[in-house]
Amino acid sequence: MNYPVWYVPELGGGLLIALVAIVHVFISHFAVGGGLYLVMAERKAIREKSQDIMAFVKKHTKFFMLLTMVFGGLTGVAIWFTISLIHPAATSLLIHTFVFGWAIEWVFFLVEIVALFVYFYTFGKMDDDRHQIIGWIYFGSAWMSLFLINGIIDFMLTPGDWLSNKDFWSGFFNPTFWPSLAFRSFMAFMLAGCYGFLTATFLKDEVTRHRMIRYSGIWALTSLILSIPSGWWYISVLPEPAGKLVGGASPTIARAATIGSFSMAVLAGLLIALILLNPKARTRSLIVLVMITAMGYMGAFEWIREAARRPYVINEVMYSNSILKKDVERINQEGFLKHAKWVKNKEVTDTNQLDAGRELFLHQCFSCHTVGGFNNDIVSRTKNMSYNAMRKYLATIHEKRYFMPPFVGTDVELKALAAYLTAGLHNKPLTDDVGAAGDRGKMLYEENCAVCHSADSIKPMIKGWDQAKVRASLDKLPALNPAMPDYTAPAADKDAMAGYLFGLNNPGAVASAKDPGESLYEDNCAVCHSMEQIKPKMRGWSRETVRSSLDRLSALNAAMPDYTGTPAEKDAMADYMVKQMGGAR
Amino acid sequence: MNPVDLIPVADTLTASNGWFQFFLMLTFPLHLFAMNAMLGCGLVAFISHLYPGRAHHELSHELAKALPFLLAFTVNLGVAPLLFVNVIYGHLLYSSTVLMGLYWLAVIPLLIIAYYLAYFYDFSFKKLGNLAMFVLLPALVLLLVVGFIFSNNMTMMISPASWSRWFTSPGGTLLNLADPTLLPRYLHIITGSLAVGGLFTALYAATVLKSDPEVSEAGQRLGMQLFFWLTLLQLGLGSWFLLSLPKQTMMRFMGGGTIATGLLTIGILLTLATLITGYKRLVMPSLWLTLPLVYVMSFMRDVVRGNFLHSYFDPTSVPVQVQWSPLVLFLISLVLGIAVIVWMLMQLPVARKAG
Repeated sequence: MNYPVWYVPELGGGLLIALVAIVHVFISHFAVGGGLYLVMAERKAIREKSQDIMAFVKKHTKFFMLLTMVFGGLTGVAIWFTISLIHPAATSLLIHTFVFGWAIEWVFFLVEIVALFVYFYTFGKMDDDRHQIIGWIYFGSAWMSLFLINGIIDFMLTPGDWLSNKDFWSGFFNPTFWPSLAFRSFMAFMLAGCYGFLTATFLKDEVTRHRMIRYSGIWALTSLILSIPSGWWYISVLPEPAGKLVGGASPTIARAATIGSFSMAVLAGLLIALILLNPKARTRSLIVLVMITAMGYMGAFEWIREAARRPYVINEVMYSNSILKKDVERINQEGFLKHAKWVKNKEVTDTNQLDAGRELFLHQCFSCHTVGGFNNDIVSRTKNMSYNAMRKYLATIHEKRYFMPPFVGTDVELKALAAYLTAGLHNKPLTDDVGAAGDRGKMLYEENCAVCHSADSIKPMIKGWDQAKVRASLDKLPALNPAMPDYTAPAADKDAMAGYLFGLNNPGAVASAKDPGESLYEDNCAVCHSMEQIKPKMRGWSRETVRSSLDRLSALNAAMPDYTGTPAEKDAMADYMVKQMGGAR
Repeated sequence: MNPVDLIPVADTLTASNGWFQFFLMLTFPLHLFAMNAMLGCGLVAFISHLYPGRAHHELSHELAKALPFLLAFTVNLGVAPLLFVNVIYGHLLYSSTVLMGLYWLAVIPLLIIAYYLAYFYDFSFKKLGNLAMFVLLPALVLLLVVGFIFSNNMTMMISPASWSRWFTSPGGTLLNLADPTLLPRYLHIITGSLAVGGLFTALYAATVLKSDPEVSEAGQRLGMQLFFWLTLLQLGLGSWFLLSLPKQTMMRFMGGGTIATGLLTIGILLTLATLITGYKRLVMPSLWLTLPLVYVMSFMRDVVRGNFLHSYFDPTSVPVQVQWSPLVLFLISLVLGIAVIVWMLMQLPVARKAG
């Protein structure tokens, strides 16, 4: 709300960041681990007095320099450029909080560059000890870069005590700092082994080639094995909401975890095969597979880490859409548009509702949702929902799906956003009482389920189920699929929805469940007064009178709370009450 | 729409603004030196291809070897000042960055291509012969394009009045072309860079390449010629830039502001002095005049920025919550880092021979 939004409808910022980040991470970790690999391989060459190995190390250093210094260095700058474009507010907060952390990292980056140049250009022109020291300086400063960036990245997931004391060191040495540093270091060494393979396969001399492939394989496999417990340590220190998301509550994390585990298993298998079993299998195509699976393993980890802090971009501080958590209450009271800088519509009026809704979408949803694009497309996700269902969904979006940030703004603004997402994107009608006369189960389905899966997609899955089975499944949704939240509605609502779902495969066969108005009455009123008790009071009332009284219950009787149901629900309840009194007048 | 309403709220600083200004003013000229050397080295190498003979061919070859280093240091030394600009002016910079997002992101692939071309130029020089200049030329052009993108962002961030264009064009495709200062400013800095780069090449030829007198002489001659003529041109471009500034800002340099006028006077005097030393091909005196001149120029640039932002943003109004230990640690790392770098450079065979 503080910054403009880079709006390319089909291109979401999230995907762009992920792409740049995964490429950078894959090279920058190599830049760290590779430093140690070079020094150790050089030491091996010195000890074994092997010119061939030394030649290999020099060749590998050239490849290393061209890849890490150019591509690695610049993709690092690219991440900075990209996040400042997609998440300016979060970038600003990170830069301001950790400016001297970044500045120290820059010093190490400078030392790294000088050391690598000196190392590469003095092969054979400097005595061994001195050359080794230069190598160690390179590795030390590269690892320190990792050390520094690691603290800032982990701060985003687990800000720890910084939340209360705003202290640099609390934020830096946050709860995931050490496990993450261990994990990333082993990752770096593993990648160094994998890249070592890459160069080694091009060696012409067969004996040296096999020796270096084996050497690289042991590096990679040992580090891979050590990365597993440190990854486990990392997950185990995650605070609750993140832990739950990683545990399966987020579909995207579940997908990434599958890719990660699969890649790791294949990688381990390949490494074992390459090192121990069959030297002849050491073909270049297999090396490509090693690289792909290593990237899959590393990429999955980064993806999970990024996704685990949702709905925040900085956990507990700033939501993914750049709204600060501490501002939510105030904005809910005073209005989002009024406080947003880059909006034309400072308030919602009768004439600007759709355009104001579009601006709300831009500033609150577009940071994760594309419009018709590949990543989290909002158009396909909203096509099953009516205006009414959308309103209800937005009001409790964060409670229903933890990883979505809450809608922030007034009720009028919420309606404007709902209007844009339904009428604006799909030309749906903006009437309040869709579904009133229709199927209540259908309405509930739209409100609670359709955002993730349409009725059509569910229909084949429940084919052959009887209504009781459908009904029972609604009590244990997370057991069916960990990504599904519990459906915590009253039994009457579940009955209605079960009826609707059963009816999808069995049209006409549905035993008409309870009158929806009756269920609503039972849920909301019967705890204080039965229908029989109030019948006399309403004698002679028209349907309109009954309906309008539901809008002002506290005015009829100060002890009565206002009924907060939707207009459609009120309609249904009014119909039921009139029917109980012997029909409408 | 009132431009002031669009300006985001700046985040809290962790040290007083003066520190960040100090670091910015300290590190930005370092980036300029590296960038100037890189561009000048590239241009002289290119011009040298156009001359026949062994000396010029060798000169191009030697400069080809230096180019990747200079590119690496230009990027690295650009990171620090960009970081401090992010701290002081981040809320302005990010806004204009979003407006020109597509171009801003393009900087990265353009640089990567230029970088690999520079390496290709170096490693394949012998194989390619004179054709190598066609590898060098696109690299140079790309680097100049990157500079143009930076000039756009640096001018757009200080012109909030141009920002409301975002409402009709939010796709990140806006540049600051309508700004009358953009072109003279860009040409001023590029010409200055190439001039200083020429001087760097002459210095490089006079020191590192001195073992081959012919090559050394060719490098000094080309470099100093470039330095002299471009500096002469710079007097005209500088005046154009000055006249393109909003009147109020311009007047500050013409007697209205003590600091601004003082800086301009020193700048002009130093420039005139370098014209004399440049004409006489005196490398070292030119260098000693140019080093302070680059600092003076970047201070003037800061004065211009301050004037443009006068009615929009007062850096001293940003809330500050000081924490000293990270700042102190940075200073210690910087000193140690420089010490390690100096030690490593002293281990180089060239340095050891000289010692």
